[in-house]
Amino acid sequence: MVARTPTRGRGGGGGGFRGGRGDSGGRGGRGGGRGGFGGRGGGGGSAMKRGGGRGGGGRGGRGGRGGRGGGMKGGSKVVVEPHRHEGVFIAKGKEDALCTKNMVPGEAVYNEKRISVQNEDGTKVEYRVWNPFRSKLAAAILGGVDNIWIKPGARVLYLGAASGTTVSHVSDLVGPDGVVYAVEFSHRSGRDLVNMAKKRTNVIPIIEDARHPAKYRMLVGMVDVIFSDVAQPDQARILALNASYFLKAGGHFVISIKANCIDSTVPAEAVFAQEVKKLQAEQFKPAEQVTLEPFERDHACVVGGYRMLKKQKAGS
Amino acid sequence: MSENKAVIGLSWQPKLDAFSSTKVEKISSKEAETSALYKPNSQLIDGLFLPPNDPRKLNKLSKKQVKDTAGKNWFDIPAQTITPELKQDLQLLKLRSAVDPKRHYKKGDSRSKALPKYFQVGTVIESATEFFTGRLTKKERKTTLADELLSDGNLREYRKRKVREIEEVNRPAGVDKWKIKKSRKQGRAGKSNGSKKRH
Repeated sequence: MVARTPTRGRGGGGGGFRGGRGDSGGRGGRGGGRGGFGGRGGGGGSAMKRGGGRGGGGRGGRGGRGGRGGGMKGGSKVVVEPHRHEGVFIAKGKEDALCTKNMVPGEAVYNEKRISVQNEDGTKVEYRVWNPFRSKLAAAILGGVDNIWIKPGARVLYLGAASGTTVSHVSDLVGPDGVVYAVEFSHRSGRDLVNMAKKRTNVIPIIEDARHPAKYRMLVGMVDVIFSDVAQPDQARILALNASYFLKAGGHFVISIKANCIDSTVPAEAVFAQEVKKLQAEQFKPAEQVTLEPFERDHACVVGGYRMLKKQKAGS
Repeated sequence: MSENKAVIGLSWQPKLDAFSSTKVEKISSKEAETSALYKPNSQLIDGLFLPPNDPRKLNKLSKKQVKDTAGKNWFDIPAQTITPELKQDLQLLKLRSAVDPKRHYKKGDSRSKALPKYFQVGTVIESATEFFTGRLTKKERKTTLADELLSDGNLREYRKRKVREIEEVNRPAGVDKWKIKKSRKQGRAGKSNGSKKRH
């Protein structure tokens, strides 16, 4: 897909999400190219970054504004349908876009497009377009993951919340009955996170290092799902540590693995296999793995269970 | 039940007069109740509605009145009443791969003809920072999807061309085959007598 439109660049044409990564030149090129929006993610530090490791560019190239928020133009009509995953919707028009139902109608979190619906009885409902180029969870959904486990009413621990773009969508997903505990280490992007959480009652921002869950143990209750997007070499250990504190037995985890952050010398597939091995050693039971390929390079998303109950045999 | 039996007098049990006072009262109250609340349909005045006495019927009725939605998991997205315009739009969505030659879609649902039941029709709101390429002008904004597609100039050309092509292919092969064209007529002027007669 990228190869087909090499010259078009990011802003070219209204190709839906496809305009996202026209320049196939390295990950670093993504955050910078778009003037004007750099303030959001470009300068924001990583989730749990502590100097060293990777050089300047924020999260090793993550952040910034990836792609346009869907090629839909403002004012066009779309049909919003339920997606296969609970709490997720698809807006169909000339292009398709993933959406979530906005908990705070009339507010966009990161200048994304919204879809306003007037009901028959005069009430208004709003949906927010979810850009898979900016959110790994959206990329995983579009990649065809079987179950994200994050659904209305779920309690979610989100590690590596950054400035809260994906967190806002997760907060939409779980709805008013659910809770999202968003952990982020960097103060700079944590500021955006806190501002977002001010308007969303089901988000609890925690500006703390995810390596030390003991520091925020009194803020977080038992959770059903842990989503981890920390992009650190020891992310399997971080996930296991947090799961041991907060994840219920039979709960689930979703982890996004960036191969470059763990070991850039070996091929990506080897890194993924090695990470899955690590997870298995920590009482996790990985069920599936999807690559986030058209949206992110050398990323994989692994979904599975934690301390799963053994299936009872029919005889006993 | 046993009381009824006793009243009807089919059973072998002796009639008991012990609770006669309470019994009488009960029956009378019951009768009053039924007479006040329940009447057979034939006795009802036109236009009045009384909820049925039978709890089972009442349940059924209340079930019918509950709005049909996709459920709590999708935040109660309602089922729509399908108007002709709405149906058109949904069908257009199914066939959208034929609308624009430069746009490609996943095959997915275009194969099945079933229209979605739970959906909502909305309008995209652009963000304040979005430039003019990201929004439609006031003139371009239309009330339905079909109108939007019809008003698009670029698509119109393509659509017309395609329609012409299809019509050409599908035109009944009747007249053209044996009609002698003008140029051909001039080419063989000598032989044209026959054809002239035919006209």
